[in-house]
Amino acid sequence: MDPSALAYLGAGIGAGLVALGAGLGIGLAAGPAMEATARQPESTGDIRTTMIIAAALIEGVALFGLVICIILVAK
Amino acid sequence: MMIKRASIFFLLALLALMAIPPFALASDSGETEDFDALHHSANAYYLDFSPFGDIELPRFFVVQHADGGYSLELFRSTTSAIRNGHFTVEIAAADHGAEASEDSTSASSTEVLEEVGDAHNTAGEVTRAELEGHLLAPNGSHVVLDLSISRHLFFAWLSMLLILFLMTRMARMYKRGIGRVTAPKGLFQNFFETIIMFVRDEIARPNLGAKTDKYLPYLLTAFFFILVSNFLGLVPYGATATSSLMITTVLAVFTFVITQMGGTKDYWGHIFWPPGVPGFVKPILIPVEVMGIITKPIALAIRLFANMTAGHLVILSLIGFIFSFAKMFGPGVGYAVAPISVAFALFVYFLEILVSIIQAYVFTMLSALFISMAIQEHDHAHDDTHHGEHVSDHSETVGA
Amino acid sequence: MIVLAVDLLAPDAGLIIWVGITFLALLLLLKKFAWGPILSAMTTREETIHESLSQAERALAEAKQLQSDNSKARREAEVQSQAILREARDEAERIRTEEVDKTRVQIKQLQDSAQAEIEREKENALNSLRNEVADLAIRAAEKILRENLDADRQKKIVDNFLSDLSKN
Repeated sequence: MDPSALAYLGAGIGAGLVALGAGLGIGLAAGPAMEATARQPESTGDIRTTMIIAAALIEGVALFGLVICIILVAK
Repeated sequence: MMIKRASIFFLLALLALMAIPPFALASDSGETEDFDALHHSANAYYLDFSPFGDIELPRFFVVQHADGGYSLELFRSTTSAIRNGHFTVEIAAADHGAEASEDSTSASSTEVLEEVGDAHNTAGEVTRAELEGHLLAPNGSHVVLDLSISRHLFFAWLSMLLILFLMTRMARMYKRGIGRVTAPKGLFQNFFETIIMFVRDEIARPNLGAKTDKYLPYLLTAFFFILVSNFLGLVPYGATATSSLMITTVLAVFTFVITQMGGTKDYWGHIFWPPGVPGFVKPILIPVEVMGIITKPIALAIRLFANMTAGHLVILSLIGFIFSFAKMFGPGVGYAVAPISVAFALFVYFLEILVSIIQAYVFTMLSALFISMAIQEHDHAHDDTHHGEHVSDHSETVGA
Repeated sequence: MIVLAVDLLAPDAGLIIWVGITFLALLLLLKKFAWGPILSAMTTREETIHESLSQAERALAEAKQLQSDNSKARREAEVQSQAILREARDEAERIRTEEVDKTRVQIKQLQDSAQAEIEREKENALNSLRNEVADLAIRAAEKILRENLDADRQKKIVDNFLSDLSKN
């Protein structure tokens, strides 16, 4: 098999896994955040801020993965 | 029920076909002008005003000659550089011909087209591919530094000028006394004041507290620059400066430098001699902490870059469906797919508006957070001896 | 495809230098000409609002204090006036009763003195009458004795005397 095909395959699977992980992570962060907001509407602002930061950090990891996938394709 | 199932099927079919456009377009490479999402997002040395044509941007080079001397060479445009400066275009192989794409060694993966420069002296047409490639200096000299005005740089400057214009106008209003003791007047002042207040009260103050005033100018500048740049990318004929990794890196470096400059003794102490951990853990923890300093701004840069690039790529891929469908199954199918593609693209476009704001917020928020971590002073000197297991949670590597 | 991915991530020193310099310039320019005035104006305004709010609060508190002071003073004044009124009434009553008593005593005294006067006068009158009568009786007896009188004449003389007496 053409080695570049394997690289493409790896990049594709990697991107998928990255998306999966990030989706799970952000979902795990956002669900309880919404519950918390429902329970304590007065602290909505704080919860949202914390949640966005958490989501951004999770997303950051995912983007690292994504960049590696792009590099893999570029190789 | 049937409709729902059908629509899900259709969606899945669309997603499955998503991978096709690049290949479909690649097979056609060289014959016609490609519709290529990535090309649109990538940097280039012209402003795309199709179908009215392109505007080439000036090219500046610091060139080292064969005899070792340096010189600054300025050209009005890429065409001028090729014609008058006898520069040659370095075009990657895969872009220019399918026959070269099989080569995998780095030496032959790019092909220098020596004859291009000469060819244009007579023909006079410069293709898009040449406008996107790097230029090579003639006669054994080489380009040390390419200071050319690129598309991303142009739009970065445009957004900077826009911010400068808007904000100095704002400041003039305040100087004239409007809004100093009275309420702000008019849509303009109210609108921007709300944003400034938001940055100050929601982003800076909760993190930085008493030191807000010191860091607020940077946070505001970064916020507005990112916001305006993001929005300029959503305007027709615009380009997103923040979808350039170089520009986001510069922003992240600013955050990095400001963070380290504000670092207190506590902050450095936590990195190079983490308190409250047993001695044998320290050799493991110190590299992790040091890496944490660097990964934070890297993540900052990549997050912004990837978010802004991805949105545009998705929009363009969705639009690209129309053409790839038309190519594969005939023009009729292309027309049939068009409304769906456009609807999805519109949805993603709205999402992008949201993402533009959120990313500006996130970048500023995280900058403020990192700065606040560095400038924090805490009195847990006595803590360490009593609670040996207490690892301060804020100095944990934020691994994103 | 291959080139594009490289393009997206390719380092570009020129771009970094340009953006670095211009962003720094933007930061400094904005700091001096925009954020400074804007933020200071906003702070000023906030302070003004804060100041006027606290001032209003203070004024309100003052007004409330004043009001409560006023009502207290009024209440006190009312109480005082009532006290004064009561006192005055008591005083008046006292004076009246005193006057009445005094008058009564005076009247009594007057009455007493009048009675005593009358008594004395009566006594005097009686005394003088007695003296007169005695005198008259003596004079009548003298006349009777002088004119040698019979019973009729005697009787007539006494009658005359008596009628004279009553005329007196």
